[in-house]
Amino acid sequence: MAATDEELVDAFQAGDLSAFDDLLRRWERRIQAAIYRVMGTEDEARDLCQETFLKAYRALGGFKREARFSSWLYQIALNLCRDRMRRRKGRTLVSLDALDEEGLTPPRRQDPSPLDLVEADTLSRAVAAAIEGLPDEQREVIVLKEYQDLTFLEIAEILDVPLSTVKTRLYRGLGQLRLRLERQGIRSAAPVPAPLP
Amino acid sequence: MDCAIVRDEMMEVLYAEATPETARRVEEHLAICVTCRDEMAGLRHLRRDLGAWKVPPLARSAHPGRPRRPSLVPLAAAAGFVLALGAGFALSGSELRFERGVFTLRLGRGADATRELASAEERHRREIDELRAQLASAVRPATESAAADPGTVEQFQALLRESEERQARRLESSLRDLSARTETQRRYDLARVSAGLSYLDGKTGQHVARTTELMGYVLQAAEKK
Repeated sequence: MAATDEELVDAFQAGDLSAFDDLLRRWERRIQAAIYRVMGTEDEARDLCQETFLKAYRALGGFKREARFSSWLYQIALNLCRDRMRRRKGRTLVSLDALDEEGLTPPRRQDPSPLDLVEADTLSRAVAAAIEGLPDEQREVIVLKEYQDLTFLEIAEILDVPLSTVKTRLYRGLGQLRLRLERQGIRSAAPVPAPLP
Repeated sequence: MDCAIVRDEMMEVLYAEATPETARRVEEHLAICVTCRDEMAGLRHLRRDLGAWKVPPLARSAHPGRPRRPSLVPLAAAAGFVLALGAGFALSGSELRFERGVFTLRLGRGADATRELASAEERHRREIDELRAQLASAVRPATESAAADPGTVEQFQALLRESEERQARRLESSLRDLSARTETQRRYDLARVSAGLSYLDGKTGQHVARTTELMGYVLQAAEKK
């Protein structure tokens, strides 16, 4: 039976450095995928994932278990994403909404080639662009809930906010997404049959 | 129930985290509130749309996470190579010297052999000269006393020539011996070095045999010269 995260952390703190390899194998892909969905580019996902595990390795010796190891790892990753976002926004203060209205491509992704345009999955691109345009707080909650499949409790622990705040951010974020997708011609509001008398 | 209050619980139902009690309460509200029912249906549909966004296959990050110990295999191979090279170097009689601030590398026994041959020749010549001198000093009184006996002088001269020729033959023979021994040793050393290098390179036995064969050709060609 595979060791739990906590057992691996114990082993690492007792001097078995190879325990970190197991933790890394277990969490690397999930963390990288989460970073990708928050940041939107593969290069940044790779860089920040690497940085996340580097930080984790350096700090794991002093890890106090006030949160689960996975939550702690997500915290590191999200903090790095926020730092990167801040630096990025410092460079390009362009409203994604404004770009949408002007019919321009958001600047965070590379212009697709004609072939990409032909082959691209329209819905996937629309969803990615819509999530990208959300405020950071809402985007983080949606990524953690919708794509990382974490519980509300885990998200509250990672973000260090009350449970109700997580649900509120999620509710608002989903509402924003519906609006954005509808604006792009994708109607998420399924027709609801009228209630029977 | 107030729509604003039920929103949090709708999130729990939407993501299947609601307790049965909460789920029943939400269902009851949706049954009487068209706005919330529409919204819930829209959110369920939205969740299906969100599933369309797939993460591309991401390359693994070249994480430096845990500093890794260098693998011992290349280190061992390198050490083996250096040892074999050193052994081959020693066996071949090669020499590395540092004299007057200059490193001098001498490969093989070539220079040694030449030096040995020269010194052997020198030694033999010295021996011949010494014999001549001894003979001359021994002959002189006899010659002086038997000056009137030319037969004796000729006999001594013949003996002297004979001795010189014998010494020359012995010198030639010993030079041939030395040359043959040096050549044999050189071949043996080269074969050892070649085998060692081939083993390190992971060459097959066939390759080793071919290398040895080629080495033989080279030696034969060198001999013919």
